[in-house]
Parts: sequence; C-alpha cells; structure tokens
Amino acid sequence: MSAWERSLVILLVIVTTGFGLGVPGFFDDISGFLSMTSNFLPFGIVALGLSLVIFTGGIDLSVGATASLAAVMAAQLWATMGLNIWVASLIGLAAGGVLGGINAAVIVFLRVEPLIATLATSFIYTSAAVAVAGDAPPSGFPDAFNTLGSGALSLGRFQFPYQLLLFLPLAMLFWLLVGRSAFGRKLVTVGYNSEAARYSGIRVPRVLAAAYVISGMMAALAGLVLSAYYSAARADMGDVLLLTTIAMVVLGGVSIFGGEGSMGGVIVAVLLLGLLRQGMLIAGFSDMVTSMLTGAILIGSIAARNLFSTRAGGFGRRLLAFVRRPAVAGTDITRHDAS
Amino acid sequence: MSAIAMPSRRPVVAPRFAMTRELMLVAVTLGLTVMVGLLNHDFVGAQNLRFMLLNSVVLSLVALGQTLVIAMRGIDLSVAPILGLAAMVCGLLAQTHGLSLAVALPLALSIGLVLGTINGLLVATLDIPPIVVTLGTYSLYSGLTFLYSDGTQVDAVPSTFAAFGNGHLFGVVPVPTPVLVLLVVLALCWYVLRHTAFGRAVLAVGNNASAAYAAGLPVTWVRIRVYALSGTLAAFAGLMFLCYTGSATVTAGTGDHIELQSIAVSLIGGTAIAGGRGNLIGTVLGSLFLSVVLTALVFLHVPPIWYSAGEGLMILAAVQAGIGRRRGSRA
Amino acid sequence: MINARRMLVLAAAVTLAIASTVSAQTVDTSKRIKVAMVPKLVGLSVFKANQQGAEAAAKTLNIDFLYTGPVTASAQGQVDVFNSLIARKFDVITTTSNNPTQLAPALKRAMKQGIKVVSYDSDVAPDARDFFIQNTEYPAFGKALVDSVAKYIPADSEVAILSSTKDATIQNEWISALTAYMKTAYPKMKIVTTEYGQSDPSKSLTAGLNILQAHPNVAAIIAPDGASEVGAAAAVQKLGRTGKVFVTGCSNPDAIRQYIKAGIIKASPLWDEVKEGQLVMHVARLAANDALKPNDTFSVPGLGNYTVKDKVIIFSEPLIFTAENIDQYKF
Repeated sequence: MSAWERSLVILLVIVTTGFGLGVPGFFDDISGFLSMTSNFLPFGIVALGLSLVIFTGGIDLSVGATASLAAVMAAQLWATMGLNIWVASLIGLAAGGVLGGINAAVIVFLRVEPLIATLATSFIYTSAAVAVAGDAPPSGFPDAFNTLGSGALSLGRFQFPYQLLLFLPLAMLFWLLVGRSAFGRKLVTVGYNSEAARYSGIRVPRVLAAAYVISGMMAALAGLVLSAYYSAARADMGDVLLLTTIAMVVLGGVSIFGGEGSMGGVIVAVLLLGLLRQGMLIAGFSDMVTSMLTGAILIGSIAARNLFSTRAGGFGRRLLAFVRRPAVAGTDITRHDAS
Repeated sequence: MSAIAMPSRRPVVAPRFAMTRELMLVAVTLGLTVMVGLLNHDFVGAQNLRFMLLNSVVLSLVALGQTLVIAMRGIDLSVAPILGLAAMVCGLLAQTHGLSLAVALPLALSIGLVLGTINGLLVATLDIPPIVVTLGTYSLYSGLTFLYSDGTQVDAVPSTFAAFGNGHLFGVVPVPTPVLVLLVVLALCWYVLRHTAFGRAVLAVGNNASAAYAAGLPVTWVRIRVYALSGTLAAFAGLMFLCYTGSATVTAGTGDHIELQSIAVSLIGGTAIAGGRGNLIGTVLGSLFLSVVLTALVFLHVPPIWYSAGEGLMILAAVQAGIGRRRGSRA
Repeated sequence: MINARRMLVLAAAVTLAIASTVSAQTVDTSKRIKVAMVPKLVGLSVFKANQQGAEAAAKTLNIDFLYTGPVTASAQGQVDVFNSLIARKFDVITTTSNNPTQLAPALKRAMKQGIKVVSYDSDVAPDARDFFIQNTEYPAFGKALVDSVAKYIPADSEVAILSSTKDATIQNEWISALTAYMKTAYPKMKIVTTEYGQSDPSKSLTAGLNILQAHPNVAAIIAPDGASEVGAAAAVQKLGRTGKVFVTGCSNPDAIRQYIKAGIIKASPLWDEVKEGQLVMHVARLAANDALKPNDTFSVPGLGNYTVKDKVIIFSEPLIFTAENIDQYKF
C-alpha cells in the first residue's frame, strides 16, 4: 500500500471513529452503520468506471447525464412497454455502454478533446433523458427492485445492504483489472504517454474505447441503483454525480493527467468522502456545507501531496520544482498529446 | 532556421485568417434571424432584437473571463458560484438594507477579485491542476452563498438596479445600458490581450509555459492575475444578472451551469482549449448566437427539452470547424 | 371583508357547539419535543413566512424547532433530509411536498419508528402522514385564481399557466380546480400552455418570457406559485406588455407589491402564511401528544377553531390581495 493510500485509510479511521463517538445516530449498531452506505455507493460505482477514463488522461463529464438517461430509459421500458424490470435494467446497462461508446467515437474519430467531447455529449444525453422521461417520469417500481437500492440481506441479526453486496465485488474486480491485468497496464501506459504506448504496440483507440464504454456502463448502473433507492427515475437524477465522483477519484490518488494512481486509493476515498458526508448530514449540517468540506478536502489533499512530493521548503524551492516539471505543473487541464 | 522550436514564429498580432470565425458567426446569426423572421415577424421586431441582445450580456461577461483563462491553457469552473455569490450578496443587501448601486458595484468586483485570486494562488503556487482547484472552489463558493443567504431568495431589487439591467442611459441612448457596458468591457479586455505585455504573456504561457518561464516571463504572477480577472468578471456578471432578472437564488449561475456554458461559448467563438489563442470578439458573438438560437427555438415552438441537445451539437460543430488548425499565433 | 365576516360566523358556530374538543388551554407542553419543518425548498418567501409563524409558536409549545430542506424544489432533496431527521430521532416531521408519492417511502419509515408526520400546503400520499393541513378549499381557490384575471380580459381570451414543478401536489390540485371552474364560468376561455418555473425566480422569468414570446396573444398568466407569479409579472414588464397581459398567482405580498402597484397584478389570492406556520406547530404538538383524532375539533388561541375531518384540517378562506389592501400585509 502506498503512502498516499495509507494516509487515506488513517483518515478514514479517524473520520469514522470521530463521528461514531461524537454524533449520535451515526453508529448505533453495525447494521445501521452499514445501511448508511446505501446513500453514497452509487457515487462509488461511478468512480470505479470514471477512474479508468482518468487513468488514460481523459475525463468523462457525461457520467451524470448517462446515469439519468439509462435510468429513465429502463424505467420507461418497464412503465410504458411492460418489460420486466430486470430485463429493462439490463437494457439500460447496455445503453450506458453505447453512450460511452459514442463518447469514445467522438474522441477517437472526430479527434475532439475528452473534456469538450464529453461536455457536448452531456448536453445531448441530458436532452434525451428529459425527452424520454416525458411528462410523468416513471416511479413506484416493484418492491423486489427497490430492495436493490434500499434493502439489505439478513444474515442472522445482521443486515448487509444489497448495494454494498454489489459494490464490494465490483470494487475488487476493478482493483484486479487495473492492478493485475494486462489491460490495466495498457490503460496506465496510455495515460502516461500515449505516443510511447502506440509505439510499443498498444492499440490506443481500443483501450480508450474500453475505458469510456466501461465508464458509461458504470454510470448507467449507478443510475439504476439510484432509481431503485428512490423508487423513481428522473431526468435530473444523475446531476449530483459528476463533481463528487471526480473528487473521489482525484482524492484517491489518481492523477488528473493520467498515468498514475491506484484503484485501492479510489475505493478508500469513496468510503471516506461518503461516510464523511453522511456523518455531517446526520449531525445536522446542510448538504451545501458538506459539499464545501468535500471541496476543501480535495484541494487540501492535492496541495499536501504536491508539497510533500517536491519536498518543498520555501517558495523558491517550489518554483524550482516547477521548472523541473514544466510541461506538467499547472499547465494542462487534461493530458494533451502531441499527435 | 534553428532546430530549436520557438514558441511562436509569427508575430503575435498578425490577422492572418482575417476574422473568419467572427464573420462566420455573424453570417450564421444574421441568416438565422432572417429565416425565423420570415416565419414570424415578431422575431425581427425591435423589441425582440433588443431582448435577444440583452439576454446574451450576462453569459458574455462570464465567458470573456473564461476565454482569457482558456487562452492561458487553464479552466475556471468556479465562475458559476462566484456569479451567484455576488448576485446574492448585492441582492440581499439591496433588498433588506437598501444598498445603493454605487456601492454594489465595487462590492461585487471585490468579491470576484478575492475569490478569483484565491483560485489563482492555488493553481499557480501549489501546482494543483486548474480543473481540480476550480472544482473544489466551486463547492466552497456555492457553500458560501448558502451560508450567507441561509437559502433565502431575492425577488425584488431597487429601481436603480432594474434600470441598470434593463434600461437606457439617460433614457435616450438607443442601445440598452448592459449592452453598452458589455462593449466597454469587451474593448478593455481586447486591448489588454492584444496590446499589453500582460496580454502577450497570457498567450505565451498558454502556448508553452516552460518556454515562457525560460524567456523570463513571470508565469506565476500572470496566472494569478488571469484567474483574478476571471473571478472579477464573473462577479460583475453576477451584479448584472441581479439587475437584469431582478432576482438571486442560491443556485443562480450554478443552476444553469453557466461555467459549462461559458466554456461552450468560448469554444464556439474560436478559442482553442489548447491555449495560446483567445478570440474575445468571437466569444461575445458566440454568446449572441446562442441567445438568438434559443429564442428562435421558443418562437418556433420547439419543446424546451431539445435546447440542451442543440447546444451540445453546436459545441461539437464549432470545435470541428477549428480542428484543422494547428496551434497558431493569432491572439 | 366578506371573508372575515364568514370566518367569524363559522368560529362562533363552532364555539357554540358544545364539543368534546381538545382546547388549546390544556395542550400538554411538559415534554420537550423536536419538530422539523421541511418545505419544498427553503428559500421561497411564502415558506419563510410559515417559518416565522412556526418559530413564534414553537416557543410557547416547548418545541425544539428546525427549519431545513433542499435549496431547489427537489423531492430527492427532501428524502435525504427525512433520512437525516429519522437518524436524529426527531419527534415530528412537518412538510410540504414536491411530489406526493416519492416522499412516501421515507415518511412511512419515519412513521414506523414512531415519528409523527404532518403535511401542510402540498400533501403527500394520505397513508404517509398522520394529518394534513390544507391551505384552503381547492374549488374556492381555483375560483379565486380565475376570477382574479377573468374580470379584466375578454371572455374568449387565451390564458397560460406558469406552475412550479410538474408533480407538485398543491399546484396540480389548484390547476384542476381552476380548469374545472373555467369550463363552467368562462367556457370560451382557452388555456394554451402550461410551463414550469421550478419555484426559482429566474427560471420562472425565463418561462414567463417563453410563454409571451411563443404565444403573443395570451391575455393572462395564472401562476400558482410564489416564485412563478413574480417571474410572470417580471416577464410582462420586461416585454412591455403591462396593461395588455394580467397576472395572478399565489405569492407573498412583499414580493408582488410592486407589480400590484404597476397594474400587472390586479388581484392575487393567498392566505395568512405566518398564521398557518403557527397552526402547523400546534398540530404537530397535538399529534406528538397523541391528543388529536382523525375526526376531531380543536381550538388554538389567536387563530380560531378547527375541524379535523379524515385527518384533514382546512386552514382558511382565500385571502385576496389587491391594490387596496396590499400595504396592510407584511410578509
């Protein structure tokens, strides 16, 4: 475990014990504590997929819109066409993959920067979601479906939320994918230097496509889980996802320029930011104040990391370090390829 | 020629492809206006023309700042909450404590200056990528707006504010005041970018930061100032928003994602995300074009749900039109 | 003044009827309870007026009062708040809802844990609350809304509706009441469009502008929401249609005063929001004490006597604001 991941775990422990001791209602019993995860795991699901994209040096601003569109699509298939809710959900999941594929196509074939491409597609997907949702967005799904979002599995006197049951294997899968598979290595190489990756035989377009398709599917899955949780699908449901998930990925140690980081850090960051937000909400802070804290932590952690890694002493040292890593420090908003 | 790559071989102020993007935007806007006007005479009536012009001012102001930031190869997502905070503070003070416009103006500008400078400091001195910084300050500044207002909505402004946002100077000048103000701001920004050392430095940093540093330019200081400028413009836009709509809420700016809109309009106006070039006039024309398109959609009874998609397609089209160009020298 | 007289007669009749009522003098305030008021969104002025009344009443009823909710009209936001209140073990949740069915699961969970739920203004599903305080009788309010504009426009006019959100219970009740009344009283009048302002002043302004631009013959806009009435009136003013288009709705007097004085709004129905807030707290206290039955009567000092029928309590008659009385009310 890297130093960064270790600090995150320590922070997680501090936050959990702090809230557990200081805020009544946060930790009454294990089941209650675990049930809180249902409030934020959809963000975690998106973060898993988004990490892949960010590893490649890109970004996916359309995750929120994709989540909404897939959810609304599945809901309408169930509501107006009478499809079984699970079949509809699978179609929604596939739709998410297609939407991610469209992103990849725009980026690879039209050669548009990921930021702009996914910005544009997020506008388009949002419109589509509003159109599909129509005048009466579907709600009131079958109880079996809703349990996925808000229910738990009973193991004796112990309740294990279904969302957690879904998330943990997924997280493990992604962790193995990124850390232990050939695909993961290709992913990171592309992000580190796509030219070098190309020369060493990696099919960069395929790797990018895979990353965006997976990101789209994860976003769709998150949208479906959210609609199960609220027992309703709305066109603006995914709006909240984007900023927090980027924060989770970056806090997890993944460089926004790509090529660096690990899945483990992201998973811990998901838990950290999620529990932090829940703790603050239960303590009575408003949603917006909690977001402020997330923003502050995001900035603070990256700043701290930069300060430590350049072993900066004074201002001059930092400037010197600035010169040593000129093309990277604070210049790009996304990794830019010379191609 | 030397084998060492020079940051820029052509002189900075050479109107090579003489304003193609601007002319194209003007042509498309006029064409669209005429076409819709043929279908619906009210569209080209004086009142609607005035409305479409006025409607584009707030976004133009924000986008001017964003253009400068993008030209420097950065990004500023926090313009939305800065707009909201400025609008809310001035709005609440005006509604409950009778703040005058004369005091509101420097107040708004100061808010933007401070918040923008914070962005600049974080980006320039702590090496944090701009997208991460402004993502963080986005939630920080939105939270400030909420804390300050406690969620209250401003729904009435003094008549001086409303006149500033909707009226005409001295009652006789044919062009609405906000449009005049925008033109002044545009002229100032244009002058700064094209004719001052600072402006050239902004473009040089956007073009190639390490070369700029090696050439002796004060990169850190330039960065701080550009973000400060972006924040100031966003806050000024917030005051204008307050005066134009006569309202302010916690979600003013962020609710419509004006940060994404300002990026979109800068791209449509011809500024490249890669930095090194900034097309300020294009940005303002792009904002006007967007205003005309959205109003046309209303007049043509196109359901509002398609507005967003239209905007997305326009971004792609605009970027496609510029893809052919290599990183050039135009300011 | 007719409304006040009718209320007095009603109050006298009830008082005369000897009933096994719960009299407010004997409300048990020995146990301190935590009551939350969760409006559709915290910033709307009419809800803040509720808060004012509730806070004052809470002091006399030994209630630990909390006013909280989302900053935009979001059912999801309300659900998140309910979850937090359940975890914090509040005694009573009072709420006006953005959507009748989406809030039900969370509220039912609360009720299962012994938390009392009292809805007011915009109701939730009846099995998800213990009591509901209805502002006014719906047919009476629908009639008031229509009459407020119908008197000033030709009988065959085009009329538009500017509501808050598509699923808001109370707006939809009023809309069906007013369309039913319009069919019988003004059969030649047509409702040409319904748009939504999301209870946000600037979005309402945009929706109002859209209505007027897409339907230039609209003679009146009925805007049954605090923000949408202001937005519609502002749109009329912005497009210079004062005197040609009339607006009505249900906003608080402070927000519409300038438009009433300008003649854009001739009459606007509402009710005393501050007093309603007081009533909400009283009902919350009674519910927490298990002192109120689904069919019952009770009285509140300073407010009057109320009947509970099938868990529903009607608060008052519509109170119409006009140029004559608008200055008497301040909230």
